[in-house]
Amino acid sequence: MSSISRKYRRTACTGLALAPLVALAACGPGGPADTSAEAGSGTGTITVWAHQGQAGESTALQNTVKSFNSSQNKVKVKLTLIPDTDYTKTLTATDASKLPDVMEFDGPTMANFVYNKKLAAIDDHVSVKTMANATDAIKAQGEINGKHYGLGMYDSGLGIYGNKKLLDAAGIKYPTGLSDDWTAAEFTAAVTNLAAKDSDGKSLDLQESGGYANEWGTYGFAPIVWSAGGSLLENGKAEGVLDTPAVASALKTFQDWKKYTDPNTDGNAFAKGRVALSWVGHWMYPTYSKALGDDLVVLPLPDFGNGPKTGQGSWQWGIGANTKNGKAAGAFLDSLLNDTNVTAMTTANGAPPGTTSVLAKSDLYKQGGPLQLFADQLAKPCGDSHSDKSCVAVTRPVTAGYPTVTAKFSQALAGVYGGADPKAALEKAARAIDQDFSDNDGYKLP
Amino acid sequence: MTTLSPAPAAPAGRKPPPPSTSRTHERPGRRNRDGLRGLLMSAPALGGLIAFVGVPFVYAVVLSFYNVRLGSPLQPRFFGIEQYRRLFTDPDMSGPFLRALLNNLTFTVVVVPVQTGLALALAILLNRKLKAIGVFRSLFFLPVVFPMALVAVIWRLILARSGDGLLNSALDAVSFGNWGAFDWLGDGLTAMASIIVLSIWQGVGFQMVILLAGLQQIPGELYEAAELDRASRWQQFRHVTLPGIRGTLAFVAMLTSVLSFRVFDQVYVLVKGGGLDEDATRTVMYQAVTTAFDQNNIGQASAITVVFFLIVVALTLIQRRVVRTGNED
Repeated sequence: MSSISRKYRRTACTGLALAPLVALAACGPGGPADTSAEAGSGTGTITVWAHQGQAGESTALQNTVKSFNSSQNKVKVKLTLIPDTDYTKTLTATDASKLPDVMEFDGPTMANFVYNKKLAAIDDHVSVKTMANATDAIKAQGEINGKHYGLGMYDSGLGIYGNKKLLDAAGIKYPTGLSDDWTAAEFTAAVTNLAAKDSDGKSLDLQESGGYANEWGTYGFAPIVWSAGGSLLENGKAEGVLDTPAVASALKTFQDWKKYTDPNTDGNAFAKGRVALSWVGHWMYPTYSKALGDDLVVLPLPDFGNGPKTGQGSWQWGIGANTKNGKAAGAFLDSLLNDTNVTAMTTANGAPPGTTSVLAKSDLYKQGGPLQLFADQLAKPCGDSHSDKSCVAVTRPVTAGYPTVTAKFSQALAGVYGGADPKAALEKAARAIDQDFSDNDGYKLP
Repeated sequence: MTTLSPAPAAPAGRKPPPPSTSRTHERPGRRNRDGLRGLLMSAPALGGLIAFVGVPFVYAVVLSFYNVRLGSPLQPRFFGIEQYRRLFTDPDMSGPFLRALLNNLTFTVVVVPVQTGLALALAILLNRKLKAIGVFRSLFFLPVVFPMALVAVIWRLILARSGDGLLNSALDAVSFGNWGAFDWLGDGLTAMASIIVLSIWQGVGFQMVILLAGLQQIPGELYEAAELDRASRWQQFRHVTLPGIRGTLAFVAMLTSVLSFRVFDQVYVLVKGGGLDEDATRTVMYQAVTTAFDQNNIGQASAITVVFFLIVVALTLIQRRVVRTGNED
C-alpha cells in the first residue's frame, strides 16, 4: 500500500466540490429551446476542435485545413488538436458557450451533447450534396428526431479474421460472406476443433487484454445481443429486451469460449499464428494483412438466430450550438467531407469511408476488395431501434443516457466473461439502466 | 540513500520543565493571548483542512440529498434520503456497496499487520553497518518511487492468466511442468490476494524507512548494557528495540490503515486492463469514482463518500484510543 495517491482522493474531492457548480451552470435558463445555430455571414475565422488520433489521421486533418485555408479567402479555420484519451472529457467539462464552431466527437456521445445543448442540427448548414453522399449507416448514427447533428468521414465495422492455413489444416468449413454465415453453434464447433489440434488449447482471440468493462466491451459484443434478437435499449427501457432468455443463452455461449481464448497480453496472438480466429474490428487489417498476406480471410460474426450483426459508427463532425457562423462552419464541413479529404483520411487509417462516392472507389472496400465484407455490412444499416434479419450494421443506442447504458452493459459483460451467471447479470444491468432513466425523466431530448 | 534522524524526543516519564519566563508573575489575559497565538500558528493547517476536507465534505453531504447529474440540463431534484435508502436496501445497489465495504475491510485487516510487520523486519535487517548499505536500502525503497498506476501495469504481465504469464511460467518451471495456467486476477479467491500482494510490495519501503529512522534513535548503550546482562538477541528485541520504537510503530500502523482505506489506483488500473474480477476487488473509493465520473451520478457518489467518511473517522478514533492506552503521551 503506498502513499496511495493522495492526488486521486484530492481530485475526487475537488471534482465533487466543483461538480455542482458545473451541474448548476448547465442548469441555467440556457440558450434557446431549439438548437439551430446562427447562420452568420459565412465569412471570418472559425474554430475547430478535433481529437488527436493516430499520427496519420492528424496529418491528414492538418493538410485538409491547410488546403481549405489556401483555397479561398472568405473563411479561415483555426484547428486545435486534443489528445483522444481526454477528448470526450474535455467536451463534457467545457461550457456550451466556450465550445468551438466545429467539433469532432465520438459517435455514441452525440446524443448526450445534443441533450446538453452543445450541438446544433447541421441540416441547414451543409450542402444537400454532402448530405446525400453520406452512407446510410453514417446518417443513421447522426440522426435524432429527423434532424442530423453529425456526419463522419469514416465508419467502422467488426468481423472475424481467420488464418486460412490453420483453418484448412483443421478441415474447418467457414463462410464466404454474409449469406452463408456460420451459426453460433458452428462457430463454437470450429473453435473447439481448432483448440483440440492446438498446442496450448487456445484457438480464439477476443481482444480481452484491454478488458471489457469499457466501450470496447459494448462495441465489440453488443452484436451478440442484437444477433440473439435482443437489444440494449428500446423506447428508453432495457428490461424485457436486454435480459431475454435468448440473450442470456447467447452470452452463456460467449462465456464458454473463454476456455479456448488466448488472453493475448502481447497483442500478437493472431499475427504470430497462436490462434486461428480473431474477433476484432477493421482497424487490425493493416497489421494482420502484413503478417499473414494471402492467408488472411475476413468473415462475419456468428449468427445467434437473428442474422449476423456488427457494430458501426466512429468519430463524427458537428457544429457547436452557440456558433455565430453556421454558414462558414457548414462550408468547412462540405470541404472536409469531399472525396479528396475523405480519401486522404481513410487511406491514413484504413477505415471504411463514410461517403458513398469514396466507398465505391476504395481499393480495400470496393466489391471484390479484401474488406468487401465490411462494406456489405454497412450497406445494410439497422439504425438503433429494433433490428431484424434483413439488416446487419446496428447503431449503438442514440440516447443521452448512453453513458449509463454502456457502463452497465459492459460491466455485466465483463462479469459474465469472468464466470457470473448471464441471466442474473443481464437482469441487474437492465434494472440499473431503467432506474437511471427514470431518475432522469427518460433523458427526453429537447 | 540516507535517512533522516529526527531530533530525539524527550525521554518518557519525565515532565518537561516549565517554560522559562522573564517575568516572575503571570499577567491576566496571558492565556487568552496564547490561545490566539496558537490559533494563528495553526491557521495555515486549519485553512487547508477546511478548504480541502471540510468544505467538500459539507458539499458532499448536501449533494447526497439531491439527484444531481454531471452535465444534465435538468434541475437538481431534492431526493431526501433516497440515495442512502438505495445504498442500504436496494438489492442492486446495496449488494455491490456492502461487498465493496467488505473488500476494503479485508484489505485493511490483512495489509496493516502484514505490511507493518514486514516493514519492521526489513528495517531491522537494514539497520546495520555494512558497506554500501545505502544501496540495499534504496533497493527496498525503490518500488515506492514508482507511481502505483505504472506498477499495476507491470503486475498485469506478472499475473496474466495465460501460461506465458510471468508468475504462471515461473511456477511451471519450479513444478517441472505440473502447473497449468491459473487466472490469478479472474478468480474470485485470488483476485483480492493478488491486489494485496502487489500493494504490500509497492508500499512496504515507505514504512520501512520511517521505522528505520525510529530504530536509529535507540541509543547504542542500551544494547551494550543488555549484552552485559547476557540478554539474548530475542530478549534485546523484546525489551530494548520494541519499547524504543513503540511510538513510531503506532504511527506507522495508523498511517497504513488510513492509507489502506483509500485503495483505488491498483483496482482501477487492473480493471481497465481487463481480466480482474470486479466484484471481488471493488473498493469503496473505486465505486465512488466510477459512479461519479463514468455514470455522471454525483448524488449517489456523494452518498457513498459520506458513508465511507463516517466509517473511516469512526475506525480511526477507535484505533487512536486503543493505541493511546499503551502509550504515555
